[in-house]
This record gives sequence, structure tokens and C-alpha cells, in this order.
Amino acid sequence: MTITETMVGFRGVGKTYPKQALPVLEGIDLELREGEVVALIGPSGCGKSTLLNILAGLTDVSTGTVDLARSDLRSAYVFQNPRLLPWRTVLKNVEFALEQIGVPAEDRRRRAVAALETVHLSEHLDKYPNQLSGGMQQRAALARGIAIEPTLLLLDEPLGALDALTRSYLQEELLRIIAELKTTTLLVTHDIDEAILLADRVVVLSSRPARIREIFEVPFGPTRSLDTIIGDPRFGALRHEIRELLRPEVAA
Amino acid sequence: MTSTIEPAAGAAAVPGAPAAAARPAAAASARRGGWKRPARVILSVIVIFAGWAIASTQFPSYILPSPLDVWDQFLSAVGRGVWVEEILATVQHLLAAFGLVIVIGLPLGILIGRSKIAEDLARVPMIFLQTVPTIVLIALALVIMGVSDTAVIGVTVAGSISYFLINVIQGTRSIDPDLTEMSRAYQASEGSIMRSVVLPSVVPYLLAGARITLGVAWQITLFSEYLMGTAGVGFQVNTSIKLLDTAAVFMWGLSIVALTLLVEYGIFRPVERLLTRHVKGRS
Repeated sequence: MTITETMVGFRGVGKTYPKQALPVLEGIDLELREGEVVALIGPSGCGKSTLLNILAGLTDVSTGTVDLARSDLRSAYVFQNPRLLPWRTVLKNVEFALEQIGVPAEDRRRRAVAALETVHLSEHLDKYPNQLSGGMQQRAALARGIAIEPTLLLLDEPLGALDALTRSYLQEELLRIIAELKTTTLLVTHDIDEAILLADRVVVLSSRPARIREIFEVPFGPTRSLDTIIGDPRFGALRHEIRELLRPEVAA
Repeated sequence: MTSTIEPAAGAAAVPGAPAAAARPAAAASARRGGWKRPARVILSVIVIFAGWAIASTQFPSYILPSPLDVWDQFLSAVGRGVWVEEILATVQHLLAAFGLVIVIGLPLGILIGRSKIAEDLARVPMIFLQTVPTIVLIALALVIMGVSDTAVIGVTVAGSISYFLINVIQGTRSIDPDLTEMSRAYQASEGSIMRSVVLPSVVPYLLAGARITLGVAWQITLFSEYLMGTAGVGFQVNTSIKLLDTAAVFMWGLSIVALTLLVEYGIFRPVERLLTRHVKGRS
């Protein structure tokens, strides 16, 4: 994999919410290269989601700048909860994202169906969200994101609310989908194994205010799978190192 | 978040929304009961009419007319064309007022629900509308507008709009902020958020509010007609009772009951079913 262009550059980014003394982010310097998957891992409430919100345009930085390589950056956001519109069918929920970027009506259905095929939901197009399991709802939310063909995929603990079994299968699916799309991806997670499995680099953040503690390159190639890396001694070593780095942060 | 605007009437108005969601379950249990439950309902109607018929033999017709007297009144009123004419007059008052309540109340309720400024500005006018006696509204309307259809419609709007507003305000506050944030993350415009998130969220509350408002509006319209003397069922009740034509009063009363049931089962329930298809649950 050749990684070339910088997609997004955080330069000394800090964020303090109004009426709060403690900043959530402080001095964040991070570059996202085109096509790479970066995982952010850190204790709860440390401001990981704030970084995604900044990229999605939902909030502003307080200090520092965010450089974007291209002006037509289009981000798709997948949240921890599916956030599907309960009064729309699965298909119409995916079309919702396409409506917002002005895709003509005749193309919407085709693109939404294609995205739902990618996440294996083709048989549930006309179901309403409350007729689907939590895992299926989250697949639909992912389809809504990839349907707009984003240049930046923001995943905020996308599997965090699912049971362990569903989660492990969806991790494999997510790995496949991200590899197929080759979209630059920023993944927030609490799960060290998930970070190592899915990401090219793992960024470890401190407790609030979040600063970057360390950035790890994941040594496994693009053809990795849970089964192949789990027996690799480098997996155990990396996992141990990240765990020990996070221990004081989580205890604090 | 404070909810200081809601008075006691609001507390009565709000449970309508959960009730609307629970209704399909009740329908399912009615189906499981087979013929027994509808049979009991029909039995209750037979008992009421039989009791009425027997009791009416003990009283003169101007105190308690028999069901047959009332039926004769109905046939006579329909035959003279009075029935259709007066019912239409009342329904016109009602629909004009109800339409105005929705056209004014929906945007106003959403605005009050979403804006603190609008909420503060609306607080006193809303308390005023909820507490001012209908009889005072009628008296004022008579002075300002005279005996007219406009006066009846005006009083009905003023007397019933707060019930609708309270529900729309509640509905607007019930909007899931996660859905609004999701929409913004996908570059949705404010107009698009209004159409795809705000209005659908408000629908169950809007239906509950519309139902309560219509019930209140019936009462106020008839009351206004009675006191103002415009065309309509209210005025017919007034003249009938002055002539001690109690059977006619019964006939108009039952006609309104029948019409209300027609609106409930012919319009509200089907519309509700159509607009809340997504709450069916797993099937």
C-alpha cells in the first residue's frame, strides 16, 4: 500500500466547551494520510468524539487549525447508536443521506440499494428500523454512510453498543468494507483488539484533556484477518504495550 | 428543561400520545376475543335503549321522550331539510375553526417548542387562553363581531387552540437531538431537518392534540351557537328547549354523538394508522 497525500492535518488543536474549565482536547497534532485507517483509543470521555465532531463540522476548534487537503471533503459519520429515522424504511434511511447531497431521485434508489448490498441488508430494504436487530440497524447506519461515497469515514465506536458475538462478526465485515472502499477512516474505539485489527495506525490518547500519548504503526498488511493476526506474536506484544500505556490513564 | 407552560389541561392532553401507540395491541386482543367482546358492546347498547324505552313510559314526552319520539323527530327534521342544513352549518363552523387552529397552531407550536424567546413571549397569552371563560369570549365576540359565523369561529379558535399548542410544543420537545445531530453531520439544511426530522417526530402528538382539540371545539361551537343565535345545531337546541320540544333536543344531541363517532372511526383512526405504520414493532 502506498500512502501519499495528507487528507487531514490537525495542528495544535485544542477544544474547550463553553462554561467548562477543563479543555477536552489539547495540542493535538495528527495527520491522516489518504486511504489509511487511524484508530483513536483512550479512556471514556476523553474527547475522542470531539475530534470526529470537528471533522464533521458539528463543532469548531478553540485553538489550532485543521488543514484539509481538498475542499470537496465529504465525510460520513457512523455513531455508536444507529440514529436511523424511525418513520423511514431502511432503504429510505440510506436515501436520506443521498438527498442531503443533492443526488437526483432516480439515482438515489440505485446507490442506496448498492450500499445496502455491501452491508448484506438487501433483503430488508422495506423494513422499519424497529423491525431489525441492533446489529442490522448498525449495518444500515453504515450503509447510509458509505452510500454518499465519502472521502472521509468517521466511525464513533460503531460496534460499541452491540453484544460481544455480533460485534466480533461485524468487526470482520467492517474490515472487509473498509478495505474495499479504501476510504480514509478515523475510528474511535474502546477496544484494543478492534483498533489493532481495523487500523493501520493506533493513536493512544490520555485522559481529559486528551493529548496524544503515542502513535503505533500496526505491522499487519492489508490482507489481515482476526484469525491470522491473533496467533502472530507481534499482536500480543502490541496489545500489551497499548494496554500498559492506557492503564494509568484509565485508573485516573 | 422547564415545562412551566403546561397547565393541568396539558397533563390530560399529553398521555394521548402513548395511548395512540398502544392502540394496535388493544385491537389485537379484541381479535383474539373473537365475537364475545363486540357482542358485549352491542348488548350494552340494547340494554341502554331498552331501559330508556321503559323509563319513558313513566314520564311525559317533554321530560323524557321515548326512542321512537326521537326517531320521529329525526325523520321529520331530515324530511324538512332542516337536519342537513343545521348540521352543515355547525360542521362548517367547526371545520373552519379546526382548520385555523391547525394552520396557526402547528407552526406556532413548533416555534414555541424550539425557541426560548418564543416560549417566554407566549407564556402569558397561553395562560390567558387557557383560563379565560368561554362565556367571556362569547360576550366579547358578540360586542366586537356581532351575531355572525365569524364570531362563532373566532370563539372556537380562541377557546380550543391552547389544547393543540400544548401537544405540538410537547412533540417538538420530544425530538431526539441525536437525529438532528445526525442530519447536520450529513449536511442537511434546516428545511430538510424540518421535513424529515421535526414534523415526523411531532406527528403522534399532533394527532393526540387534534383529537382533543376537536372534542373541545365541538362543545364551544355548539355553546356559541346556542348563545349567539347563529344558524347551527346549538341554536336549534336553544329554540327546541324553549318550546319544550325535548325530543328534538335528544335528536340533535344524538346526531352530534353519531357525527363525532364517524369522525373518530372514519377519519382519525385510519389517518393515525397510516401515519404511525412504523411503530408496529417486530413482526
